[in-house]
Amino acid sequence: MKGEPKELKLTVNGKPCELKVKPKTLLVELLRDELKLTGTKRGCLVSACGACTVIIDGKAVKSCSMLALQANGHEVTTIEGVADGDKLHPIQEAFVSHGAIECGFCTPGRVMSAKALLDENPNPTREEVREAMQGNLCADEGYVKYIEGVEIAAKKMREGE
Amino acid sequence: MIREFEYLALKTVKEALSLLSQYKEEAKIIAGGQSLLVIMKQGLLATEYLIDIKGISALDYINYDEGKGLKIGALTIHRAIERSPIIQKHFRVLSEMEGNLASIQTRNWGTIGGNLCHGDPAGDPAPVFIVLNAKLKLASLGGERIISMEEFSKDYLEVALKPDEMLTEIQVPTPPPHTGIAYEKLTVMKGDIGIIGAAVSITLSPGDGICEDIQIALSNAASVPLRVREAESRLKGKVLNDDLLIEAGEIASTEAKPLSDVHGSAEYRREMVKVFVRRVATKALERARAE
Amino acid sequence: MAETQPTVGEYSIIGKPLPRVDARAKVTGEAKYAADIEAPSMLWGKVKRSPYAHARILSIDTSKAEKMPGVKAVITGKDFNGYKWGWSRPTRDEEPLATTTVRYLYEGVAAVAAIDEDTAEEACELIEVEYEPLPAVFDPFEAMQEGAPLVHENRPGNICVEYHWNFGDVEKAFAESYLVREDTFKTPRMAKGYIEPPAILAYWPDSNHLTVQAAKGSPYFPYRILANCFKLPLSNVRIIQPFIGCDFGGTKNDMVNCDFSAPMLAKKTGRPVKFVYTQFEELTTCLRRHPMWVTIKTGVTKDGLLTAIHNKIISDGGAYTRMSPLSNFLTGICMGLPYHLPNFKHDIACYFTNNPSSAAMRGHGIYHTRFAGDVQMDMIAKELGLDPVEMRLKNAIENPEPGKIYETINQLHVATCGVKECIEKVAKGINWEERGGKAKKVEGDKAYGIGFAAATYLSGTKLSAHNACAAIIRVCEDGSVNFLTGASDVGQGSDTVGCAIVAEVLGITLDDIDIKRVDSAHTPVDPGSYGSRVTVLAGAAAKNAAEDAKRQLLEVAAQQFGVKPEEVDIRDKNVFVKSNPEKSMPWLKLVRIACYETPGKVIIGRGYSTQGIKVYGLADFSKGVGDIGTNYSFTAQASEVEVDVETGVVKCTDNSVIAHDCGFPLNPPAVETQVQGGAYHQGVATALYEEFKMDKGSTLNPNLVDYQRPRAYEAPMTKVEHVITNDPYGPFGAKEASEGSVCSAPPAIISAIHDAAGVWIKDLPAQPEKVFWALKEKREKEKKGK
Repeated sequence: MKGEPKELKLTVNGKPCELKVKPKTLLVELLRDELKLTGTKRGCLVSACGACTVIIDGKAVKSCSMLALQANGHEVTTIEGVADGDKLHPIQEAFVSHGAIECGFCTPGRVMSAKALLDENPNPTREEVREAMQGNLCADEGYVKYIEGVEIAAKKMREGE
Repeated sequence: MIREFEYLALKTVKEALSLLSQYKEEAKIIAGGQSLLVIMKQGLLATEYLIDIKGISALDYINYDEGKGLKIGALTIHRAIERSPIIQKHFRVLSEMEGNLASIQTRNWGTIGGNLCHGDPAGDPAPVFIVLNAKLKLASLGGERIISMEEFSKDYLEVALKPDEMLTEIQVPTPPPHTGIAYEKLTVMKGDIGIIGAAVSITLSPGDGICEDIQIALSNAASVPLRVREAESRLKGKVLNDDLLIEAGEIASTEAKPLSDVHGSAEYRREMVKVFVRRVATKALERARAE
Repeated sequence: MAETQPTVGEYSIIGKPLPRVDARAKVTGEAKYAADIEAPSMLWGKVKRSPYAHARILSIDTSKAEKMPGVKAVITGKDFNGYKWGWSRPTRDEEPLATTTVRYLYEGVAAVAAIDEDTAEEACELIEVEYEPLPAVFDPFEAMQEGAPLVHENRPGNICVEYHWNFGDVEKAFAESYLVREDTFKTPRMAKGYIEPPAILAYWPDSNHLTVQAAKGSPYFPYRILANCFKLPLSNVRIIQPFIGCDFGGTKNDMVNCDFSAPMLAKKTGRPVKFVYTQFEELTTCLRRHPMWVTIKTGVTKDGLLTAIHNKIISDGGAYTRMSPLSNFLTGICMGLPYHLPNFKHDIACYFTNNPSSAAMRGHGIYHTRFAGDVQMDMIAKELGLDPVEMRLKNAIENPEPGKIYETINQLHVATCGVKECIEKVAKGINWEERGGKAKKVEGDKAYGIGFAAATYLSGTKLSAHNACAAIIRVCEDGSVNFLTGASDVGQGSDTVGCAIVAEVLGITLDDIDIKRVDSAHTPVDPGSYGSRVTVLAGAAAKNAAEDAKRQLLEVAAQQFGVKPEEVDIRDKNVFVKSNPEKSMPWLKLVRIACYETPGKVIIGRGYSTQGIKVYGLADFSKGVGDIGTNYSFTAQASEVEVDVETGVVKCTDNSVIAHDCGFPLNPPAVETQVQGGAYHQGVATALYEEFKMDKGSTLNPNLVDYQRPRAYEAPMTKVEHVITNDPYGPFGAKEASEGSVCSAPPAIISAIHDAAGVWIKDLPAQPEKVFWALKEKREKEKKGK
């Protein structure tokens, strides 16, 4: 039936979730409106800004360009799942201490892109860092400190902190 | 705003083909949705049935055999093509092309099949597959058929898929020896849709260095990815030099039928066809010589 | 008045890198922005918009929409009973929703509140509106024609605002100049460019009280305007500030359709109503930077010293007045900075057109003429055979001696001006001496060039009425401190700087301060985040409030120590007698004594700042004289670009240095980020990438794919150098730190393109096609031997 809610089983930030979801629901809507995980943002309609970036099975994906039902059986990590309790992830720590964060609207999506990069490539070149950030638009920070922040975090993570 | 639809997710090709055969034009396929969802969100497309094939893991593969060539399952994500060691080794141009396609996030979920079936003449993969002599396998309940990449593109956002058919595989023959292939597009920022792009494949004959075979295809220069045969024929059978490549660019620019939009006028695009055909042919030639 | 400033080493907290107080909330996703906020039984709103750029509304039938299941209320402009609003009393020409006439494409004519967004959107489609399309004008040149259709019936000639100022004698100066040059430059219509679209949640706790949580960088605008609109006393309008995803002036520090519709629908339904604009609505209806046609005529002596400048500017104000009086004023008021200018004439006319309204944007006003002025300065330098750095140093204003003031020809008063040092620093940073004079670098089809620019920006804007900023400090009995401020942190870091100032004054740590963000029920009045005013004015208010609280505490301490209050100080949470530091007690002990031992003593410090107004009064818009700023920042920039001479694509390289004189950087890393960000996202953006392309009032690129914003791969890793001048009129010597580089970047980039490829792109942005045709034209001219 048109619009009939379907069952969805997925893992979000390590927790299993089971819900019924209308098919046209985008993943970003599920996360924000149903699961109240508002850290993931909506910025544009055309998959250009990346503010909605989450990690699916280890890969950075734009949650606005995916139906929620397509996450069935997958592991989704949002910004809320990055810190370890009170302890910030090295990427988060680096962004904070390096003064990279301005208005913060693009920050969650950017953390996810950076995390996906460093989880897979612990020693990225500057070019690779820029590429990883290319899908995340910022409007005020200039990208310089974000790029440097990722490099600082990468170094700390390699040193095992 | 997306209009409601009935959602059908499945795990096998057979199921997908059954549904297509049942619903035909009333159904739309979604794979990665990176193109589809953008237009659905803007209210430009609605459908009664949405058939989600992303879960068909059997169509996610990259196989290579020197004899049979490269076979890519239609649901292989762009990122996998970009990073596949096989492709980097034997079909480097595909990896390079994918590396500049949209953003990493898009490449992590969008599929090669979805991209080709969207039929956007600005798309990067199609012209590269054209010059690679790629063929596409289309399946329906009635059987399978093979069609060339070039024939697959019919018009702006229109491909040669019957309502009950689905793309399952892209087949790329191993290029002959002394073949060099390259693709470049004109962008302002990395990952942009190309203002125009050119894919060139040059095969040289071993002894005399004559251009035995040449294929040039353009992106965003017409309503389909465009083979520029007149430009090709200027080069085929000749020993290539800079002047000839410049000429080819100029001929290609007369064959192109680009549109004007906010990113560039038709006139500018034609000028850029000249530049890019020349640049990319130069690169392809270097690669062919190095082989 | 002026204060003596200690050096950096004497401060405990400010002047050192400060982690932002809100960084953690933002990096964990905890920070709530307007669209993240929910209320129980909340409804969703959508605006119904006109399909015409100019039309009379003949009728609106909302009956079908009202009957739709899930729809709780539908409103039209009539519900506002003739209310009109505007930036100032004489310019109240805009309605919350159009009643009789729509003046730009997609102007709002009705709004719906429903149980969800989709229902609201579908209901909008059911509202039937009959229009009579009217002839329209789409650029100032159409608008100024005799007999052109009028955007506002009562505004003849479609003139929104105009200024004609005259200082000295430009004609005489031109006549006596060695060289006179006139050029016309064009600046594009630009989006604000923030990623977070406007959003608002409104509800009525009871029929007389309105609460609003919205993405507003200057919440006191909606505070006053909504009080006016809904005929409520100010004290009944509560604006609570969430986190804001950038502002940049206009829209988020002004009102849009949803800002009125949400409260009205909430009133009608008795339920909270939330609107979240789409990026499409933002890019088609919300405010944008004025496109301007700047004709600048400049005279110089043989040595390259400026003798006179005459600006003739036409700007497109769009459909409503909004802030055009200020935007257009700002194009000229600071023309006498950063270079000494003895004669100046300014003629600007801003026209109404049937486009979405133009308004403030980071770099407001000054950016247009600084771009024209600095690029033309390079053109002149070339004609005279002068080095661009030398040219600038010659003309740059010297930093006044302490206690002295430099006055511009139109009576701006500058106590500190570090522009010379800025220019020297960037020239050094880019290794100009090595390169200067040598041929530029060319590698295949890529040519590299370097461009310079210097700029100024007003700081601590003073406008008429409500310039005051205030702050309240409340010392809690456990030693923690509440800091209530009217200032809005839109991402520039003002929360942090405010807290740092308070901590510095009180002699405690940043962690002891908890900032209470704007909630107009509790926090004081403040005009908001615009005009680069927050650090200077709100910072001064915070300082004064902290000093007031400190005074109260020192009285208690003095009693305890048996000395006079002026003999006591607090540092590093230690309270001590200055002449005998062994007589001391910890901060916590003093606070306890103050709160408990003196019956009924509650330590509340209050402070306000009208800093600059006391000194020099307000600017006169009609004459173009007077201080628009409390003080003025200065910036210089040197940037390298790579030009692909075959395609016209221009890229910034990492070779980019900006030196910024913000008086005293209260939080150096924050200043750096602001400078880098302004230079790239607004500066390079306008130089290379951004422009709204319009066709008869319709925006052809209303999405972030076709309207390209700058990205990470292309971002230059700009080095920022600080120039410290310790301004006497800013708290701790501070001046603004976020708009100067917006003004220095565009001319630096355009000059760099000329250095690389020999073409002047005077019409921004220098998109590839434009550069390509310019290069082609140049090659053809060269072939013909011209």
